[in-house]
Formats: sequence, C-alpha cells, structure tokens
Amino acid sequence: MKRWMNALRTLLATACVIACGVVCAQPARGHASADASVVASADAPADAPADTPFAQRVDLTPLATVAVQNDGRLKSMSSLASELMSAVSGPKEIAGQPPLFTYIDMVLRPDAYRDADVIYVKSAGPRARIAEAVLADDLLPETRTRMDAFRASGLISETMLSRPGVLKVLREMQQDLVRTAKSMDAIESALAVKDPRFLLARMQIVPRGDGDTQKPWHTIADVMFADGKEPVPGSMLLLAEKRDPPADLSPEVRGAVGDAWRAFVNAWLKTDADGVNTAAAKLAAVLPTIDPANYPDRGRLAWEHWYFANGHMTKTWLVYMASAIFLLLGFVWKWPRARRIGFGIFAVAVVLHTAAVFLRWYIAGRWPNSNMFEAVTTSAWFGCLGAIAIECFVRRTAMCGLFALGGAVTAMVALMAAYFLPVQLNANISNMMPVLHDVWLYIHTNVVIFSYVLIFMAAISALLYLGHRALGGAATFARVGGAGSLIVAGNHGEERMATGRAAFGEILDGVTMVLMELSFVMLWTGIVMGAIWADHSWGRPWGWDPKEVFALNTFIVFAVLVHVRLKVKDKGLWTAVLAVVGAAVMLFNWIVINFVITGLHSYA
Amino acid sequence: MQQADPTPSAPRTDSADAPAAASRGLGGAVLDLFSSVRFGIVLLVLLFVYSTIGSAGVLYPEGWNILSADNWAHDQLRQWRPFEMTEFEWFNWWPFSTLMLLIAANVIVTTLRRIPFKPVNYGVWAIHTGIVVLIVGSFVYFGSKVEGDTPVARRVVVAEFDATQPDGSTKRERVQFLASPGQRVESGSGALRTSFAVTQVDPAWELLTGDDKGKRVYSVTVMVERNGKRFMRQLLAGKPELTEDLIFTNDQKQPVKRAIKEIGKPIFDDTLALSLDYAPQEWFYLRNDLVKSWALYVRPLGETKWTERPIRGLPLYNDRIGSRDDVYQQPGDDVLALDPIDVAVGPAAADDPFADVTFRVSGYLRYAMERTKIVDGGPSAPLNPVVFLEVADGRGQKASYRLVARDPERSRADAGALRFVSLAGEGEIERFKRQPSLTVRVPAKNIEIHEDIRDVASSNPDAPFVEIKGSEIDLGGGKLSAPYAYRVISVRDDVPLRDQFLALATVEVRTPKGVFRRWVFDDASLTRDVVKADASDAHGAPSIADPSIELAFEPGNGLALVVLAHGPEAGRLRMVSTIAGAAQVKELKPREATELAAGVTVRVDELFERAATESKPLVIPRAERQRDAMETFAQIKLDVPGATAGSASQWIPFNRWVFDAQEDALRRTPYEPRVVTLADGRKVEVMFSRQRLPLGTAVALEEFVLTSHIGGFTGSQGSIRDYMSAVRFKGVHAAAWSEPQRVSVNEPVEHDGLWYFQAQWDPPDMRQAEDGTASAGLNYTVLGVGNRVGVHVQLAGCCIAVLGMIYAFYVKPVIKRRRQDEVLAGLGRGRDGGRQVQP
Repeated sequence: MKRWMNALRTLLATACVIACGVVCAQPARGHASADASVVASADAPADAPADTPFAQRVDLTPLATVAVQNDGRLKSMSSLASELMSAVSGPKEIAGQPPLFTYIDMVLRPDAYRDADVIYVKSAGPRARIAEAVLADDLLPETRTRMDAFRASGLISETMLSRPGVLKVLREMQQDLVRTAKSMDAIESALAVKDPRFLLARMQIVPRGDGDTQKPWHTIADVMFADGKEPVPGSMLLLAEKRDPPADLSPEVRGAVGDAWRAFVNAWLKTDADGVNTAAAKLAAVLPTIDPANYPDRGRLAWEHWYFANGHMTKTWLVYMASAIFLLLGFVWKWPRARRIGFGIFAVAVVLHTAAVFLRWYIAGRWPNSNMFEAVTTSAWFGCLGAIAIECFVRRTAMCGLFALGGAVTAMVALMAAYFLPVQLNANISNMMPVLHDVWLYIHTNVVIFSYVLIFMAAISALLYLGHRALGGAATFARVGGAGSLIVAGNHGEERMATGRAAFGEILDGVTMVLMELSFVMLWTGIVMGAIWADHSWGRPWGWDPKEVFALNTFIVFAVLVHVRLKVKDKGLWTAVLAVVGAAVMLFNWIVINFVITGLHSYA
Repeated sequence: MQQADPTPSAPRTDSADAPAAASRGLGGAVLDLFSSVRFGIVLLVLLFVYSTIGSAGVLYPEGWNILSADNWAHDQLRQWRPFEMTEFEWFNWWPFSTLMLLIAANVIVTTLRRIPFKPVNYGVWAIHTGIVVLIVGSFVYFGSKVEGDTPVARRVVVAEFDATQPDGSTKRERVQFLASPGQRVESGSGALRTSFAVTQVDPAWELLTGDDKGKRVYSVTVMVERNGKRFMRQLLAGKPELTEDLIFTNDQKQPVKRAIKEIGKPIFDDTLALSLDYAPQEWFYLRNDLVKSWALYVRPLGETKWTERPIRGLPLYNDRIGSRDDVYQQPGDDVLALDPIDVAVGPAAADDPFADVTFRVSGYLRYAMERTKIVDGGPSAPLNPVVFLEVADGRGQKASYRLVARDPERSRADAGALRFVSLAGEGEIERFKRQPSLTVRVPAKNIEIHEDIRDVASSNPDAPFVEIKGSEIDLGGGKLSAPYAYRVISVRDDVPLRDQFLALATVEVRTPKGVFRRWVFDDASLTRDVVKADASDAHGAPSIADPSIELAFEPGNGLALVVLAHGPEAGRLRMVSTIAGAAQVKELKPREATELAAGVTVRVDELFERAATESKPLVIPRAERQRDAMETFAQIKLDVPGATAGSASQWIPFNRWVFDAQEDALRRTPYEPRVVTLADGRKVEVMFSRQRLPLGTAVALEEFVLTSHIGGFTGSQGSIRDYMSAVRFKGVHAAAWSEPQRVSVNEPVEHDGLWYFQAQWDPPDMRQAEDGTASAGLNYTVLGVGNRVGVHVQLAGCCIAVLGMIYAFYVKPVIKRRRQDEVLAGLGRGRDGGRQVQP
C-alpha cells in the first residue's frame, strides 16, 4: 500500500512538473483563436476566411499532395505552404486554417488579409516598440485591445505595419544590426512572402513538357493566361504579369491545367466548396501526367503531406514522457512492473521516433542530420538506440532501466524543443549546402551528435545522483568506473552491479560513468573525424572556430573529470557535478554558439 | 573491498615521492610538480578558460535586469585594444604555447614517472603519447601555416590593332582587359580613339553547328568603336575559328545582324585582332582573419608593377585616430576614443622604387565609408551659397532641405516648387516675384497675347492647347484654317551655355503648317524651332519652321512657389513666396522660424555663402555593420613624409586584391589606388591591401561550372549542388599548361606543396541590365590556398589517443577481470588443495 501511495505521489509530482512546463511553453504555440475574428473583421466576404464551414468543407488533400518545384527540390504543395506560411505567421496558425488553405486564400483574396493580424513578430522588444508606435497616434480602445493581443501573440497586420509612425520605428530597428535587424528582416520577408504575386510565383506545380530537369517547372500563372484565356474576371490574379504560354507544353495540356485552375479559382471566390474540390482533384490528376518519368512518387508526396500535417511527429515527446515517468517509478521505488511498463512505452516511443526519422529520410532523400531540427531529433533517436543497446548488456544488473530513462528524458526534451520552438528548430526540408555533400557528414556529424546525446544522458543520471545526495544519500560511487563496474569482479567474483548489493549512488554513478566513457571516446573520435573533413573541405583541420573550440572544451571537462576522479575522495559528487558541467558546455555549444556566435559551422 | 578506479590509470599518489623531492631540491620539486595529476588538472582548467575566453568571448550585463537577454552584452576579449588578436593569433600566442608545452611536459613526466609500462596501463600510455604527438604536430602545423586566397579570372580579351597616331603614322598596339560584363577600355583620343566594351558574357554558349554541336563554351561579346564605326565581335573560348562580327543595320526588326549574313564574311574589320586568353594568377593573398597581414603597395604613378610593403603593428578590430577632426561620426554614435598609432611602413623589397621613403600610418578605421559634406569654405573660398532649412507644418510634420544655389540639379526641391537662387544685383529679385510669362504674336493678324505660365505639359500631359482667337487664315473657298494654338511643354532657367545659364520655355505650336516645337529662350536671338537634328527633343516632329508666329519668354520665378534669394549683400537671405498669388518678400534670419503660409514655417538652419566640399571617412556605428564584411571597409591614414600640409596625410581605403589596373579588376571588387605626392614632387600610387605570396606557379581557370539541383539555379543557395573550377597550372620553367584539374567543394587539388580549395564564386547579377553591365556570372573563381605541414603527425597523435581510450575504458577492465578470475581460480584450487590435505 505504501509503495502504491509513494508511486502515486511520484507520478503526480512528475506530472505536475511536466504540466507546468507544458503550460509555460504553450503560449508559444497557441492557435490564436482571436485571429479568426481579426481575419473576419477584415474587408472580406462575410463567409470567409473565418468561415470555418468553407475551410472545413474544402478538401485540399489532392492539391496538398501535388508536387511543387522549389529551390532545387520537388516537394509536396502542403510542405511548401507550411514553409511559406511559417515565414509569415511564425509558429501560429491563422484562424485555425491549414497552411495550404491560408496560402491559397492569400493568393486569391489578398484584401482579406490586409488588415488581419497574420504577420508574426518574434521578439518582445520589437513588439513593444511597434505597439507603442501604433498607440502613439491611435488611442481607440479597440486598437489598444489589439495591441495587447499583439504583445502576447506577436501577430500584427500589414496595415498596422504600414502606418507612418510604425514605419519610422521599423526603419530605426532595421539600423540596429546587433539587436533588432533580424526581427525586422523577418517582418520584411513576411510581408514579401504574403504578397499574392510572390505566392503565385512559388506555385511551380506544372512540370515541363520537354523533360529537361535543369530548367524550372512552370508556375500556375504561366498557364492561366495561356491561349488567350483570362483567369477569372475581376480576380486579383489579373495583377499577375501576362506571359507567353510555355512552348514545351502542348495546347491540350495547357488547356487542361488552365481550365482546372480557372475553375478552382472561380469556385474559391464563390466559396463553392464542391466546385473547389472537383477542380482540385482535376488539377491533381492532370499534373502528374505531363512528365510522368520525372514526376515524384505520389506515395512520397502523400507521406510528406502527412508528415507536415502531423507536426513532424514531434508529439512523440508525450509518449517519451509517459515512459520516463514509469521508468523513474521503477527505479526509485524498485518496482519491476512500473519498469516493465516504462520499457514497453519506451519501445513504442522509439518505434514512433524511428518512424519519424526514417520517414523524413524517405521524404528528404537524404539522411536527416543537416539542420538544427534534424540534428536535435536524430541525435535523440541515436540516444534511444544507444540506450536500448546498453540496456541489453545491463539487463541483469542494477543499472537496468536507467539508460532507457536517460534516453526517454533526452528524447522528450529534444522533441519538446522541436515541438515548442518551431521557429528556432525549423523543420522545413531543404537541400543541403554543397559543403555538406561529403561522406564525412554522415560519419563526423553522426558520431558527434551521438556523443552529445550520451553527454546529455550522463547529465540526467548525474542530476539524479545529485538529487539523491541532496536528499541525504550516501557518498557512494562506482569504484571501478563505468564499464569496469560491469566487467571487473568484486570480492565474490561477481560484477558488483549484478549482486544487488550496489548502493543507489553507486548505481547512478556507474551509469554516469558508462555514458561518460562512451561519450569521451566518441567525442574525441568525432572531433578528429571533423578535423579530417575540415582538412579537405576548408583547407585546415582545425580553425579555432567557436564550435570546434567548444567541442574541445566539452572534451576538456571530461578529461578533467577523469583525472579529478583519481584524486578526490567524493568521486561520485565530483563526477556528477562535472558531468553536468560537461553537458552545460555541450549545450552552450549547441545553442549559444549556433544562435549567437556564428562561425564556419553556422549551417550546422 | 576498495578497488582502484581503472580510468585511465592508477598513478601513485602525489605525496609518495615528497620526501625524496625535498632532498633533491628545486629540480626535484619541479620534477614532482610536473609529475602531479593535480597540476595536470590545473593546466586543463586553464586551457578550458583560455579557450573559452578566446573563442566565445565574454558576456557581461549592461543593465540591472540580468534575466533579460537584452541586458547582456557580448564581446570578444581578444579583439580588445590591448590584444587585437584573431582567433588564430590568440591560439598561437605565447601564453597558449606555454600552456601546451606545460601540458606536454606534465603528461610526459607523469607518464614516465608514475605510470608503469605494463599491459593494464597501455591505454593511458597510448592516450598520453597521442596527446604529446598531437601537440608536437600542432606546433609544426601552426608554426608553418600559411593560408590565403587567390582570385582567378576566366579569360582576358587581347586586342591587337594598328592605331593611327596624331602624326598620321600607324603603330601596332596591344590592349588587354578582363572578360567581364561592363569592362571598358579606350586607346587614343578624339577621332583616333578606339574603344572596347564587354557587352555580354555567356558562360555556357551552346554551339549550334560543327563537330562540337551541342557543346557549351564561354562566349564574350565585345563592342568595338573604331575609325568612326561601331560593331560587335563575339569570341568563343577555345574556338578562335568561330570568331565573328555582328554589325548594326537600319533594319528596325533586326538592328544587329551577323556580318557573314550581311556582308558575306564573318569579320567586318580584319585589321583588328581580338582573342581570348587565360588570365593567369601568380599570387595568393594572406588571410587577415588568420594572421594580420596588412600591406601597402607602392609604385611610381604610371607604372604597373606594385611593390609590397608589409604593415606590421596595424590593428584589425579597433579604430585608432589621433584627432576627431579626421573623421565623421553619425549623431548619437559613441564618440571615438583618441588613441593614435604610429606605424612605420618602410621599404621591404630590394627593388622598392622608393627605397628612401618611409611612410607612416597614423590612423586606422575598421569600418568606414568616404562621405562628402558641405562646409563653410572660409572667406577665401569662391562664392557658392548653400542653405540648410527646415519647413514645418502645424501638425508636426517636418521636411529638411539642402539647396545649392549654383547647382541647377540641387537648387530646387519638391519638383521645383522650392528654389534657392543667388542674386548678383538687387534688381534680379523682381524677376522672382513674377510668374514666367509668354508673349505670343501673330503679326499677320496683328494679334499679341501676354500670358502667365501656370501649367506645363511635362507635369500635366493633358494640358490643352491654347487657341488664339481670330488667328484663323483664309484658305480660299470660304474655308478657314484652324486657329493658331500653343501649349507650354516645359520651363527651365538652368540651360547651361558656355559660362552662363539661360532660361528656356519649350512650346508646342500648332499653325496651318502643322504642329512643331519651338525653343523660346529669354535671349530672343537663340529662339528657334526644333528640327530632327535636335534629337533630344525632336520626338519625330516634322522639321518645319513657321515664322508666322512669334514667341517671347520671360522666365520669372521659373514656376517656383517659394524662392529663397541670397544676396546681393553678404549674409542677406530673403524668401519670395507666390503661394497666396501676389508675391510676398520676407527677410529670413538664421535659426528663426518665418511664416510661409498658414501654419507653415520656414527655418534656416545654416547658410554658407562660400561653401566648400570636404571628404572624410564616416565611421559606421557598430550596430550598423555587416558582420561578414571583415576588413572590406577598413581604411588607414597614411602620412607622407615631408609633403606639404594639404597633402601630408590621406585616408587610403582597403582593396581586397592588388590588381595592376582597372582593366584587371574583378566585378564587385574595388580597385581604389590613391596618389600621394612626396616632398620632392614625385608622385606615388599607393594601395592598401593584404600581403601576398607567390604561388610558385601560374594558375589559370579553364572553366567554372555551377551544378544545380533539379530546376537549375534559382538564385537561391538551396538550389546549388556544387561549384567546380577546372584549373591549369604552369610552373616557372614549364612550356605548357597542365591538363585541367578539378577543384570543387570538399575536393581540393595539391600542386607544388600548396592545396587549392574552392572558396568563392562569381554569382549572376542581373540587376544592372539597363546600363549593359548585367552579368550571368561565372567569370571568375576564388580559390583558397594553404599548406598543411605536420597534419599527418597530428592525425597520428589523434588516432593513437583514440586507441588508448578504447583500451583504457574497455580492454583494461577485461584484463583485470581475467586476472581476478585467475586469482580466484588459484585461490579456489588452493582451498580445494587445503581441504585435501586436511583430515
């Protein structure tokens, strides 16, 4: 009974801590429901875009899985919409509409978005200054309310940003390259992207008729005027520049695509959902037939659409969280059933995580480790695989479950970061920079991120150790190191960890050491591999680039750890403290160096 | 129970040898210190701190709210004035080298003295050996490291022709210039001038005929003006036999035609030989962000060969000035500290043409741009009135103006509504009280009309013709012509003619003869009708002239609503306003607001009667600097020894590379030499750049290929797959170029001990299509160049250390376990044996 109550308390405490974390982080992602009213209040037909029935009745799935050519990639229209809409509205969704709906609506009814709060301003400083400028000469209560909402959500309208007083403030902030210019660039690019002409020009969904892969696909605008036909009388599309019909497309193809698009536009402007659905299906059916040999696999496009529509599967953090809770219960209260449940949930989480990694690999056509989102999520996946592998070795020891716990917490944190910080960890799939096309990308980067995730996992066991000590736990430690405590026999000829006599602190210290030893070797190896790559890529194996230096610094912390362990009496405490310091230096390298102090590794 | 921790070793305790050390004195103590693990830990911590400060810099709070990221400032300690170090310099500074030597010594001594060389310690021995080898390799590597870049253009155009000399003789001339869009070269002058301009470069021109049909070659089209004729010549790299001319025709549909089609032969002017040749590069420029490598290049004015003078002791990151009068700063920017330098730049090369001259650098600016400002020129300067004023309305809207009376372009603002003039005599002001007016006479009908001009067709295309009633002419048979009519197209009073400005009204006139334009000057003797030869204003108008209508023009205020009139007395400034209809004249006083109209005031902030221009570097505030600009906007203040006060010092801008002439300069790359005059009158051309080293071979760029992802290059980096330079080498004694070798990203090439890397490229730039300098790019490459002595030693050290780590962590416990098992097995046998002997 006592065990159950303790378990319940631990469960509740953990859930509370995590719930607090979620609640604190939630505002970053809130679907500004207020946006709906903002858009609805704009100069727009009464039924749109906040007319959710129309948005819901429209089935854009066929169009979402159409291929679009964008910056050297053939991707799904859905992922392009997601990418461009995130450039406009950051992590926010507009009026709860799918990004593709908003994209098309912005193209076809741009006036409705002119005074809608859809442009995202990331930082609090610029938000405050813009709001101040708006309120300087407009004290209407509704403006004040709107600015309060803007300060909280970061969403503001184009017309607000176009006010003379605001323009002046924007210009001033543009001048400050250190503090605010980045935010201003983001606003500028949001305004540029929101322009219907820009969005229309990005709709390169019409394949070439001549099969030439080194020439661009045509935009839908290229065919909508084809053969003397106007798109839709009175629509904003007439603002698009008229061009000669593409010569590589036959008149029949031009006619079929142009007719379908015109029907689509016409139906959209009349909010005729059935008409939109029919036209979208027709368009999606005809486009792949133009150049079937070079058209991407529809299955891949459908998966890409699904992957983006489901938030890149980053919600798996919830499953990891559940597994971490049970594994923690299993360890703290020595409760085998909780541990087994934890393992089961952990396995499910790893399967989902694996599916996400492999799906991204399949969609991108390359191993996902070339941007921040991929590095974070893939490294966490490596950590979980590593945890499973180590668990196989330690399954009969007292360490059982702790590596899975470390892996689960690490993956939970990584996927939470990806989920809650979509602007910083941009999940868009793009081509790699030329310098990354090298076999060493796969060797060096994977080894280094694996070592980093092991360092993070070691910090988790170290923190548990510190918690244990803070609660009055004995100053015990693994006397023969990490791997040693699993290999070297005790006085009775058995590995100490397998005897069941190992103390709490000894187990945690042993786990930290196992992970530290592994990461020590892998980090050094990874750094050396990076040097080999840099030698033939940049002309020098070591350039004292901040990222290199802090990888070395992380290694130095662990070198200090190894040597301090020889000299101090309270080896467990020192190990735990230095493992946490090592993880902090590693995180500093990944976060501060990447986002603040850029160097040659700036693309990584 | 207690077992030694196996990671990485179990050296004897530090205190073990203490008594022995005491007896050995200082040497023994030092030896013990270097055998100490604690000392090793201290060294590692110092290394950590040193690396952190040098690489990440320092963070410090600037405000009380330390929880706000905005209140934290980040700075690079190594860039501060006392240090002025690049990352490379910081990590090659003596404290770092000392630290590394101490670590190496500590590792060696500890290993030798405290870690017995036996199987369980092989791991730690290997790690320590690896670290020492790495340190040795790094001293070799970083001690000999040179790294830089070299720009290699794809082709030069070589022109050879017979140039007619002023005395009538001819001389064979050779001109060479870079094949780069917009590049222009002239030879000779006046009627004897021959000019070349690269109008188009197509890096991938497709051959449509011949054996190589479908192959793509580098195509350069050059516009040639010679002997009063103009034509274009297209040159194809590697295909001189396909060179052909394009000539201009009168055919509106096809104004340019191939010479072969038009005159039956491919070459229109066969006295001119144009060809494409490699643009070999023999130098590479050291990277300033690795080790500061400033240099001043000098040559006698008119020469082409530069001589390098390294500038040692020049900073990189911080501005150094001796006087704030040397520079401009933006209002609100931090005031620059006065911290002058004095760096001697003496001759370094044996063949320096100015071996007797040592320049000095007395100032340095990291990021500045030259700005020209209008200042008070003082009493000796020529009269040049300039006024700075502000117009404000009652709602807080303000506009500032700077007007220059004697510059037609800058004497007006707001589309001519505001104007600044300088009066030579008091009578002139009367003119500005009047609207411009036109007097129209039709003598045959005895009609004379005088009208103010208020509306001009250049600003109002719908301005109607004014018909002159009663001017109809009897055409016979009772038919009357349409009446005479006119409309004013434009009014100007700044038409330069010799040393004066004239006023001009351009009037469109309709008479029974037709419609034509007449230029009506205030000087009636110049008035005439526009004919076709007046191309600038003909607009296809018939070349008719009709004296049956006479026009006279009085310029008045030139349509300005407000005229600020300076003079004729010194310091006097008046405002003539015709806004309310009748002219009002008000005296203006400096910094006093004067009402112009209801609620609108004019305030003169400054009046310079004898304004002069002054150029100085404007220091760009830190917050406005591009982070990746590096030294692009650096300038030094060069002091010329013994020169006169006016030319004693000069700010010299930075040039990334040292080209011999403008014709060799790469697109988007500045070529800004400056000329200084020595005390003895010798003129020296100087250029501020980086030190350079000979490549030891000539490098030429055969071709540059941009590989893109599906859909081709879109202008975005994301669409680029790879950059590839095909380069050829030719050693000093080699007779021919080597075969092309491929240098691409991650794929360097080694030649004569130097490695060549793909570093930068020439991207397309289609923005300036209107002036013929748009570029499809790919006309040059920039290769990184460097050596890598000792790199294999470093690698060997790293590999040994890795093996050692694996051994120490994973093999050593296994060895220990085996030993334990053996011992336990032995004990077991012993126990069993014991039992056997016991009864």
